[in-house]
Amino acid sequence: MDNLYLPQLAVIDQIVDETPDTKTFTLHFLDQKHNKAFAFKPGQFVEVSVFGKGEAPFGLCSNPLRKGNFRITVRATGTVTNAMHQAKVGDVFGVRGPFGNGFPFEEVMGYDILIVAGGIGLPPLRSLIEPIFDKRKKFGNFIILYGARTPSDRVYKDALAEWAARDDVQLLQTVDRGDESWTGNVGVVTTLFEKIKVDPQRTFAFTCGPPIMIRFVIQDLLAMGFADDHIISTLERYMKCGVGKCGHCAIGHKYICVDGPVFSWQQIKVLPER
Amino acid sequence: MKVGQKYVLDKQAFLAVLDSLRRGAKLIGPTAGPDGDVIFREVESTSEFTHDYVNEFDPIKRFFIPHRQDLFRFQLDKMPKFEPLVDTSPQILFGIRSCDVKGILHWDKFFTGVYADNYYLAKRANTTIISVACNRPLDTCFCICCDGGPWLESGFDLQLSDFGDRYLIDVGSAKGVALLAKVKKGLVAATRQDLEHRKELMATCDSQMVPTAYVAKAIIQITNRRVREELWDEMGYECFSCGGCTHVCPVCTCYDVADYMETPTSGVRFRCWDSCQYSGFTREASGHNPREKAKERIKRRFYHKLSYAYVKLDGHHGCVGCGRCITVCEAIGMLDLPAVVKRLRREGQPAPEEQGA
Repeated sequence: MDNLYLPQLAVIDQIVDETPDTKTFTLHFLDQKHNKAFAFKPGQFVEVSVFGKGEAPFGLCSNPLRKGNFRITVRATGTVTNAMHQAKVGDVFGVRGPFGNGFPFEEVMGYDILIVAGGIGLPPLRSLIEPIFDKRKKFGNFIILYGARTPSDRVYKDALAEWAARDDVQLLQTVDRGDESWTGNVGVVTTLFEKIKVDPQRTFAFTCGPPIMIRFVIQDLLAMGFADDHIISTLERYMKCGVGKCGHCAIGHKYICVDGPVFSWQQIKVLPER
Repeated sequence: MKVGQKYVLDKQAFLAVLDSLRRGAKLIGPTAGPDGDVIFREVESTSEFTHDYVNEFDPIKRFFIPHRQDLFRFQLDKMPKFEPLVDTSPQILFGIRSCDVKGILHWDKFFTGVYADNYYLAKRANTTIISVACNRPLDTCFCICCDGGPWLESGFDLQLSDFGDRYLIDVGSAKGVALLAKVKKGLVAATRQDLEHRKELMATCDSQMVPTAYVAKAIIQITNRRVREELWDEMGYECFSCGGCTHVCPVCTCYDVADYMETPTSGVRFRCWDSCQYSGFTREASGHNPREKAKERIKRRFYHKLSYAYVKLDGHHGCVGCGRCITVCEAIGMLDLPAVVKRLRREGQPAPEEQGA
């Protein structure tokens, strides 16, 4: 019988400083067989161990269609994440997963796609954005809206510049507070809605970010005429085991780790607490 | 000998069989503690057992899900090494009550599924359950409201009914058959009179139950969200958030996971009991806490215990009627399950169709 709690060792190949408190780690599993077999869906997450410090969940942010390694973006906020930020290339983490249901990908082919990301909510959505680019012809109009606190708090600045240069996606960015270098929009991410044209009937909207942002985004999407099942969000909860046993991430009778983290508004709105 | 058959055996003869099995497995059962407490613990001989008890204060879940359970040991190095610590040692649990067996049946469902918890299942596979039906209840028992007892039709390996110097024995599983096969002499098939006698004992026990927990209406109130918000506010104000109710509950299983360094270069990852009633239970690293207030946590607890969504998911509401939450609750008489069920029934908002009446 498989042991639910035993991690696999994963070696750090690359570390990128994204913001003053956020890094992206590229990893591969030490066990070649496991590395080859490792597959995930956009929006799924892994539990990462720093032995002696503990374990924490992170959304996978790399392209699930590209095999060989995987990436996670980590903001230093607690014991485990601070320990992760001390790691160097060649060090190892323990990794369990992938866990969770993931974003629908095949199911939304043929539709227009609207991505609304806030701060560190962009990493899980990047695991959806990149495969959409890989299969670009299978999707309609593609819009990405990204909001962050300040210009330097934006993650993936290189990727954002690449996406901005593409003509098959409309990328709009905003910050809560600009600086002398910032010539773009200032304001919360929902202020970008008036700058885009979407046909809610033909569009699936995906959102991830701080809970308060998600609440306002959903409110606006509903006002724009999006159907409940065309609004796809992630729910955030403290997750320990990742496999629906420890109880920490339960909302109503759903466990965010196994029933989620991805839910449609149709599913979220009937939960007894949100 | 088959599952479902019933026998009668002299008590001492049965206990002698348990003694003979002592070498191959831990024998755990009820012993007399100080001040009249009853404590389930490992014994050297069945002579250490007490038979004069109704139920233990603590739930027996610690023999399946220890307060602290080490999951694996790790050695820090350039390439860390780790070794799983799955406990497969056999144990025989003698004398547990029907309500606790019902709790185990709940875990059997919860810990299996797509993600089967191999730590629990290893312990479960190596445990033999010998339950004893209750001839009398405690004044906190309400198992008859929860299909938790005082006796059971299934779920045990062997179920004993105490007839004084004899046991009526229900055979519940292949493990039970194997254990009973070790009885050399004195085992006789139960007669109609024996079964009638048990029925009388159980009817007497039923009639002595004092607390009531008619959960059906409470389930309807919670499922349809007809509970007044002010009622949750009141309960939140009364709760001490001590977590006692969850710790003594034979259904609750929530746990925390953490690492502990035993030496500068080695340690263990363990899980330990946690409680949804603690303020830090849902707190995230960012500081965001979805259930910061006691009110929200109480609501969560009773949603889990009594919503129809969970009844469907688990096949049972989240209570077996053991009454331990009555004994342990610091907010005496206000937040144990029967008390809350009563409040939900009486103080919830009426159903829409009832409002005009």
